[in-house]
Amino acid sequence: MAKLVGIFAASHGPIIAREWETMARDHRDKLTAAFDEIGRRLRACRPDLLVVVSPDHWVNFFINNLPAICIGIGDEHDGPPEPFMKKVYPHQVLKGHAAFGRHLLQTALDNDFDPTLSHRLTLDHGTCIPLWRIGVDPELPLVPILVNDLEAPMPSIRRCLAWGRLLRRAIESYPEPLRIAVLGTGGLSHSIGETTMGWIDETFDHACIDAFARGEERQLDAFLTEQLDRTGNGAHEIRDWVIAHAAAGSTGFELIDYFPSPATLVGAGFASWKAPAA
Amino acid sequence: MTDYWLSKLFFDLQHDAQLVTDYRADMAAVMERYRIKPEVRRALMDDDVAALSPLVNAYLLRFYFQVRGMPQDEFMARLHAMNPPHPAPAAKVGHG
Repeated sequence: MAKLVGIFAASHGPIIAREWETMARDHRDKLTAAFDEIGRRLRACRPDLLVVVSPDHWVNFFINNLPAICIGIGDEHDGPPEPFMKKVYPHQVLKGHAAFGRHLLQTALDNDFDPTLSHRLTLDHGTCIPLWRIGVDPELPLVPILVNDLEAPMPSIRRCLAWGRLLRRAIESYPEPLRIAVLGTGGLSHSIGETTMGWIDETFDHACIDAFARGEERQLDAFLTEQLDRTGNGAHEIRDWVIAHAAAGSTGFELIDYFPSPATLVGAGFASWKAPAA
Repeated sequence: MTDYWLSKLFFDLQHDAQLVTDYRADMAAVMERYRIKPEVRRALMDDDVAALSPLVNAYLLRFYFQVRGMPQDEFMARLHAMNPPHPAPAAKVGHG
């Protein structure tokens, strides 16, 4: 049977790619150190497959057809379409893992979840900046899970917790002896294209980190459900961390680093969870 | 209230480099391809961030003004002028 061997989360933001070479060196060094530490831990757990939980930044979906959750079940996916990504992450095609994608989809349907599916997703900067900076082997097969983190109404935190538990169940019921890691991307607080753009809500971010560290799902649900509409819109991407958190069993959270990153407009957060198979 | 056709224009501009070229050459002609309301058309012609902001997803709005070539600092200043930055939490209105 497959094993969950690593669970991670990391922020992203287009400016990380767009201005990487011109960013202040000390700031770039902090980002590098945090991403590198995730990369070190990911490589140490020797995954055969990486499930990446990310938002879609209006690349695959629009408001005429906007799924809450989409699972990528193809053998391949397209690399990032943004011109600024092509310079730093020039992979036009990324490997998928159709068999596990289909197993995850079937497990979801069998458990009364109703995701949509895609045989070929386009993976934007939200997925590919972490892959690039963490140094994920471009040959490592990916199973993307795209979550609507951008346009209200979005999946509830309660549902994201349930999705994380379902993901864990799907991993542990997959019949092949694969080593599977999970990476949630996005967050922490940031504000994009709204009247508070540039605001990094450190109070929210620290409370959020504390809630993950305590682990208790009801408290995490209550905190995020109450606070997410009161902070910057980018914080909604924390749903991807919540799915990773529940996949880990809502325990074992370890903060790798957090710092407000005005240069990239994000509260930059990096974390891992203790893997059950470790 | 979301304006579907304005959103569609912004979405298409994100995906179609030729449309961006066409839009930069002749905004009005491209707007004719969409059901853009007269008051929205005026806001587009005036680069009126405040008027467009309530009508589209905030991420699409940001992308659109990048296409328009508005520097990020100016875009942010125009947004901030709509509302003081760093509001008390109760004053914050979520927008996708």
